[in-house]
Amino acid sequence: MLALLRRFLISSWLVVALLLLWWKVSANSENYFWPPLSQIATQFKANWLFTNVVEDVIPSLKNLAIGYIIGAPCAVVVGAHLGLSEIAQKIFSPLVNFFRSIPGVALVPIFIMLFGIGDESRRVSIAVAVFFPTLIATVEAVRSSDAVLMDVSRSFRFSAFQSLWRVRVPSGAPMISSGLQVSLQVGFIVMIVSEMLGAFRGLGAFTVEAQQSFMIIDMWTGIIVLGILGYIFNVIFELVEKRALRWYRGQKGLTS
Amino acid sequence: MTHPMRTGARLELKDVTKTYTGHGEDKHVLDRINCIVEPGEFLSIVGPSGVGKTTLLRLLTGLTPVTTGEILLDGKPVTSPPEDLAIVLQEYTRSLMPWLTVEKNIELPLKLKKIAKEERRERVQSAIIEVGLEGNDSRYPWQLSGGMQQRVAIARALASRPRILVMDEPFASVDAQTRLDLEDLVLKVRDDFGITTLLVTHDMDEAVYLADRVLVLTGKPAHVAAEIAVPLGYPRNQVETRAHPDFGHLRGEIYQLIRGKR
Repeated sequence: MLALLRRFLISSWLVVALLLLWWKVSANSENYFWPPLSQIATQFKANWLFTNVVEDVIPSLKNLAIGYIIGAPCAVVVGAHLGLSEIAQKIFSPLVNFFRSIPGVALVPIFIMLFGIGDESRRVSIAVAVFFPTLIATVEAVRSSDAVLMDVSRSFRFSAFQSLWRVRVPSGAPMISSGLQVSLQVGFIVMIVSEMLGAFRGLGAFTVEAQQSFMIIDMWTGIIVLGILGYIFNVIFELVEKRALRWYRGQKGLTS
Repeated sequence: MTHPMRTGARLELKDVTKTYTGHGEDKHVLDRINCIVEPGEFLSIVGPSGVGKTTLLRLLTGLTPVTTGEILLDGKPVTSPPEDLAIVLQEYTRSLMPWLTVEKNIELPLKLKKIAKEERRERVQSAIIEVGLEGNDSRYPWQLSGGMQQRVAIARALASRPRILVMDEPFASVDAQTRLDLEDLVLKVRDDFGITTLLVTHDMDEAVYLADRVLVLTGKPAHVAAEIAVPLGYPRNQVETRAHPDFGHLRGEIYQLIRGKR
């Protein structure tokens, strides 16, 4: 219990200190674009506890969830098979490198043209953007499987399918997981940006609309919500990962 | 504990040659290796390091194809890892699945062979008892000492009920005391199941202590320098067997074969 409290204090004192500093420095601010934090806090309470959650937060998160659940598993399946074949990698690598170089957010206008300005285009944009980081990580993970483990698989006569899903993919899970984490971050960004174009609701739409109508305090509250959400996602991801990859941390002798 | 008696497999190497091609000049590693291992026999393969022992092991387990010649297991040509064969490798840290517990590691090959759950459980448990790993079922390999990890690998091999067990330097990375324990474990396993056993090692003492026969490889490319029968009786004993005059004599003979033709 005491250790938990200590850990909490260590990881939160800087945040608290910076918030206090912001509060103090901005207290008497006359700058329209840099309002006192006290005003932002009041407005934050009015905006987000918990009035706009259903209208703005839930739709955004739903888009992210749908896009991620489609894009990331597809990337693992495609990546795992690409990782097996040198020839397939050679064939697809120019294509993959072309698309991965395009920032996910730049794809949004294309999908708006294709699917209109509804949620479909946002979900597709997220799915596509999420696809590439996981794909690349999975290909590399499967490709770099330990030769000894492969000999073991062959000696027990595992089929190609079995050795892929029972040996190569699990042993590459730590690397695949890093890809999934990057994908989540990319998906989060695309979720926001996709709402900045032509959406009426959602967190991104709220924030941009506030900025364009000079409701600067509202804009600040939107930005803070985004920051908090992104932070929560990372924490959740790391908790899940820590549990799923306990063996990896144990093997590497990492503690906690 | 009773064990279902199995009969060992018969292994035959006929003029087995291996040449690695590509990467510049061809590398002729093994030259016309001939050998017969009778069912239930324990054969050690020794030779100086780099002579091609591991290559020979990869050939006779079907992991690597032969260049010319033939390997027969119970009369059938070996072209890929055969059903009745199990392998234990030196690198126990890399040959076990670190994401699976001891129990699941041993179970995995059975599961993928679609063996019924009841039988799987029974086989896993008896393998765990056979190698003396009771109480470690739900631990992970990396939580175990090197010797215990190698016991898991042996248990995994036994659970698939092989008729021939092939081991590549299985005790090279464990400490001396553990090594002696594992040597005696391997003797016990052979005794309990009557399986044909092949051991690749660079340790002459170990080769003699465990085997019915020792195959000595020397030269470049490697050929069979000698096949030496080990007339020491059973059961073997770490103190008495090693102190036996014949033991020292055989050891000396092998030493000269390996040193003399380097």
